[in-house]
Amino acid sequence: MNAAGNPPGHEPGSPTYHGLPAIKTPVWTWEVPAYFYAGGAAGAAATIGAVLQVLDGEDSARLVRRCRDLAALGTTVGTALLISDLGRPARFLNMLRVFKPSSPLNVGSWILTAATGLSIGAAVLSRGEGPLARMGELAGLGAGVLGPPLAGYTAVLLAATAVPVWQEGRTTLPVLFIASSTGAACSLLELGDFDETELTAVRRLGTIAQVVELAAAKAVERETGRVERVARPYDEGLSGALWKASGALTIVSLAVDQVTGKRKGGRVAAALFGSAGSLALRFSVWHAGRASAADPRATFESQRA
Amino acid sequence: MSDTQATGFFTDTTVCIGCKACEVACKQWNQLPDDGFSFTGRSYDNTGALNSTTWRHVAFVERPVPLEGQITGFGDFSWLMMSDVCKHCVKAGCLEACPTGSIIRTEFDSVFVQPDICNGCGYCVAACPFGVIDRRADDGRAWKCTLCYDRQRADMIPACAQACPTESIVFGKLHDLKERAAQRVDELQAKGLTGAYLYGADATDQPGTQGLNAFFLLVDEPEVYNLPPEPVAPGNKVGASWRSLAGAMAGLVLVASASVMSSKVTR
Repeated sequence: MNAAGNPPGHEPGSPTYHGLPAIKTPVWTWEVPAYFYAGGAAGAAATIGAVLQVLDGEDSARLVRRCRDLAALGTTVGTALLISDLGRPARFLNMLRVFKPSSPLNVGSWILTAATGLSIGAAVLSRGEGPLARMGELAGLGAGVLGPPLAGYTAVLLAATAVPVWQEGRTTLPVLFIASSTGAACSLLELGDFDETELTAVRRLGTIAQVVELAAAKAVERETGRVERVARPYDEGLSGALWKASGALTIVSLAVDQVTGKRKGGRVAAALFGSAGSLALRFSVWHAGRASAADPRATFESQRA
Repeated sequence: MSDTQATGFFTDTTVCIGCKACEVACKQWNQLPDDGFSFTGRSYDNTGALNSTTWRHVAFVERPVPLEGQITGFGDFSWLMMSDVCKHCVKAGCLEACPTGSIIRTEFDSVFVQPDICNGCGYCVAACPFGVIDRRADDGRAWKCTLCYDRQRADMIPACAQACPTESIVFGKLHDLKERAAQRVDELQAKGLTGAYLYGADATDQPGTQGLNAFFLLVDEPEVYNLPPEPVAPGNKVGASWRSLAGAMAGLVLVASASVMSSKVTR
């Protein structure tokens, strides 16, 4: 047993080297959590659009179109955010020079690239006629197939790092990201004007997604809380504040939605609260990773546990 | 990779005198810029940590306990020094994470970042369980120790090992290094330093990385030297995460379908 790591006055716990971090703080900037939100919402929207296309045919044409527009916009913005975060943006295409299942970022780049192309294709071509429109329909289905992985792979990407709070939340984080992405997509869709049936479908899905999001957030706290030190960023500091704000915003969104029903004003308010909650969640998870990497005891104690 | 060609470092911390010749030789050979000449005020370590422009780092640990088997003239004190470096893990987190294939394993079994491929995504930085690899702000790409890939190809030994005056840094064939290290541990234990042990010498020792091609002889817990006690290449643990994602994706499609179908009923 050593006495070195804990000079008088230092907190108890595992020894450290002058309190310095044991791993590097992720170098990613704000573009990355913003991408988690945009790409996630786009993926969920593409999926909702494709499900409607298959199950509801012509009846929800307007909602399907809105889903495709949202998917095209989200994937385009998301790709731009990711490229701008690179140290060498001009080399973005190097992501696609190999296919490498061991790298979630490589797999995700392929998913994002294909989903972006298909989403834009679906949004643009389905506005045409004849064979063009049919190609658009096909692209919409393709984007729908890639939607769920696009909405959730980012959670696996975080779990596959050495950052304790991300690594230790590895089984619950994907559920949280899928639920939050779906909630985000539904919130954005609820901003539009649709018929009764379309609105019912979107609101039902959105409500379930937000309830699952709240439950999954608790599950993430529990999974990471296996080692108290690891879960700390979800309770303290900027990441903790954002985490709690996200939960509160989601609850408010749910409550407003239930109280005001399908009325436009209430719907817009619920959608704005929901979007803010989902966005806050991504920034919280990102900040939590930065705080966790900076805490050597989180690294050491998660490995000793 | 056959053991005969695999090379690495055996860093014996018990003979390190903290001269930092390795840091200087590395900077000079690899033409790495300075890090700002900052003063930490904590110890003789003003380097702090390995980073994108510091590929050898000498850690200074001042302990208020004596080293076993050693008598000091001024009470309970011992000074540990360790020249840290990229571990060139057998199962390397950075290599698995790299999305471009920029990070490769060389013919010497070392882990090398190809600067002409790296696009600076930063994923390796988050994936390294030792906090070694980092991205240069001025250049945008990820950099770390190359185990002097260029020198090895020219039959020269790495600059740090060449500069080390006490043979604390030993470069050689991995097989020979492991033999030498085991002998050294026995020798130290016989002298009364019962806490001496090898860190990362093989896969049984460190299953999460399958062992390190740059391994260490330590005399205190790894944390004391800022080394993780049970490092794991993050990819080892990610299967559960993909399975969980598969379940969540199925849930999304099911709930979306159910929402659409149930709302049609009311039409």
